[in-house]
Amino acid sequence: MSSWYKSWILLTGFILFYVAYLLFGAFVFSTIERPVEDKLKRDIQVLKEEFLNQSCVNATSLENFLERVLQANKYGISILPNSSASSNWDLASSLFFANTLVTTVGYGHTTPLSDTGKAFSIFYALLGVPFTMLVLTACVQRLMHLVTYGPISMCRQKIGLEPLAATAVHFAILLLVVVLGFFVVPAVVFSYIEDTWSFLDAIYFCFITLCTIGLGDYVPGEKPGQNFRSLYKISVMVYLFVGLMMMYLVLRAFHRMADLHGLTSFFQLPHCDEDIEEDKEPIIEAGHEDQHEAEDSAKPLDPASQTSYNTINR
Amino acid sequence: MAAPNLLDPKSATHNSKPCLSFSAKSITLSPREECQAIATVMKWKTVLAIFLLVVLYLVVGAAVFRALEQPHESAQRLAILNQKLEFLSTHTCVNHSHLEELVKQVVSAIRSGVNPAGTLTNHSSLWDLSSSFFFAGTVITTIGFGNISPHTEGGRIFCIIYALLGIPLFGFLLAGVGDQLGTIFGKATARVEKMFVQWDVSQTKIRVISTVLFILFGCLLFVALPAAIFKHIEGWSALESLYFVVITLTTIGFGDFVAGGSEIEYLDYYKPVVWFWILVGLAYFAAVLSMIGDWFRVISKKTKEEVGEIRAHAAEWTANVSAEFKETRRRLSVEVYDKFQRAASIKRKLSTDLGLNSTPELTPPKRILPVNFTDEREREPVFPYMTKNGSIFQNGLGGEPRRGDVAIIEYLK
Repeated sequence: MSSWYKSWILLTGFILFYVAYLLFGAFVFSTIERPVEDKLKRDIQVLKEEFLNQSCVNATSLENFLERVLQANKYGISILPNSSASSNWDLASSLFFANTLVTTVGYGHTTPLSDTGKAFSIFYALLGVPFTMLVLTACVQRLMHLVTYGPISMCRQKIGLEPLAATAVHFAILLLVVVLGFFVVPAVVFSYIEDTWSFLDAIYFCFITLCTIGLGDYVPGEKPGQNFRSLYKISVMVYLFVGLMMMYLVLRAFHRMADLHGLTSFFQLPHCDEDIEEDKEPIIEAGHEDQHEAEDSAKPLDPASQTSYNTINR
Repeated sequence: MAAPNLLDPKSATHNSKPCLSFSAKSITLSPREECQAIATVMKWKTVLAIFLLVVLYLVVGAAVFRALEQPHESAQRLAILNQKLEFLSTHTCVNHSHLEELVKQVVSAIRSGVNPAGTLTNHSSLWDLSSSFFFAGTVITTIGFGNISPHTEGGRIFCIIYALLGIPLFGFLLAGVGDQLGTIFGKATARVEKMFVQWDVSQTKIRVISTVLFILFGCLLFVALPAAIFKHIEGWSALESLYFVVITLTTIGFGDFVAGGSEIEYLDYYKPVVWFWILVGLAYFAAVLSMIGDWFRVISKKTKEEVGEIRAHAAEWTANVSAEFKETRRRLSVEVYDKFQRAASIKRKLSTDLGLNSTPELTPPKRILPVNFTDEREREPVFPYMTKNGSIFQNGLGGEPRRGDVAIIEYLK
């Protein structure tokens, strides 16, 4: 009964802290953004008045016209002359759209217009999201052994570091590699390809995409007259997928490290590992990965000894 | 993503200590009662197969979307071009470039969230406290509608840092909420079970019924009811409300429909209630999505099992058939041996009757004598162990009686 009570207390504490965090964020965003918004409002009013003064258009017809233009723009259709002649729904863009749907990024720069499209998106997402998560977890599981367990055991054997230090060092290196390879380098590439993006904009885009937030204020490949548009969009898709995998990998490595350092027990989270698929073969030793095809029995480890690198190496 | 295993039959029975875990995707959760950690890894082939399947799924989806949406898009484009031409023709003092300039400015203003329609005064800001609160919420839950987004450099940098800290925080919260949902569900199922046990209904039926009830009840509470409320307040169609609910709760968050994003006068408590609904609904959806993922696993396991069963059946059949063959061979050789024995005894009788011309006749039996001995020694213990020893026995016996047979036959001839 006391553990149940404790969990309720913990939950209420979390909720309160979370609300406080949200309020703090709201306050900061408000303070930063509001002046800019006000200025923009004033500017656009001035522009409208200038336009109305110079021409014979009356206010209402302009309003109607603008409303229609904005409605079309919401769905990605622009009346500006140099807008891309290519459709938003050719095969590469539709593939890109399906990918953002299925990885839950959801930019929103193009959204289904028809009712059938909306209904189809619902079912497609309900099936596709768990499917993608399954694939990503499976790949990450596999990668973990290459990237985490292997180097760590090698580290320990050759350099002779203690497990705690080895995992911390390894995690730091992994984090550095991921940040460089999946944030900095792609940001440089994006800021080069997209004329209107600065380096900060590109990093912001990479971060918002890889966390699957996907605000949609920056979407690559939307510039009119983009060269090799299809190829560009498909490579962005590949970047998204691989980047997501690396984020999961980092998260998992962090979790393992936290287990080892006792942080999980500090937060009273029991060590739970997920067994995702039944068609696995056990890893007998981290070094003998070639032989695991021969074995067929699984060795269940109990939770207490589970995620330490020692047990895996045994 | 391993979301709460609320529908695992085990979790219904063991109301053990709730088990939170930091799973791969931070907004999903995996409380497992029995934390069975099996250090195993998928085969490359399986991963590759699943990956190809996902790519195929994407391509099929892309084709369907294209077929559904492109006609609409062309129609819209034509309509808006007509509008522009009409406008320009009715208002002849406006020239092309001015209009386009205005449109460009207006579009970028809308992107920044400023709506130039109407006048300044009757507008609420997009960045007043409650809307910023909502925006912060969409960032943390990784929904990311995008109808509001930061435009200053400072805002963007702060957004990055804020999300880095907030997403794991929200992950913890979601794990906790999902956990409570799971325990409530488990307790309810246990009580229902106690009721039904008196009526002698099988446990699997209870589990299935409780799962179905969970889905229905959850759908009603977190999907249907909010959709109806949104339809009424926001003025969307039924499909659009449902579409909004699904897109939000799976954290995709396109932003074409946002509750609280239109120019309607909202009640004060509308947005906080929406936020609370998102929180609990996300936990429920994580459960549903993990259940669908479980079904995929079960289906793949079942397919594997069935394939395994077929293989096992085939192996069994082959084993039976080969055992039959060996048995027949053994019987045949035993019969042959019996016949040979009889023939030999008859021959001996004849030879003793006929006199002493038995020495040349002894040689064939002599040649076969070792066979006889081994035969007699090994025959009795072999009988109970038919298949394995029998096969060895058969192999040992297989060659010799044939030779012996030939000798006998030659001799008898």
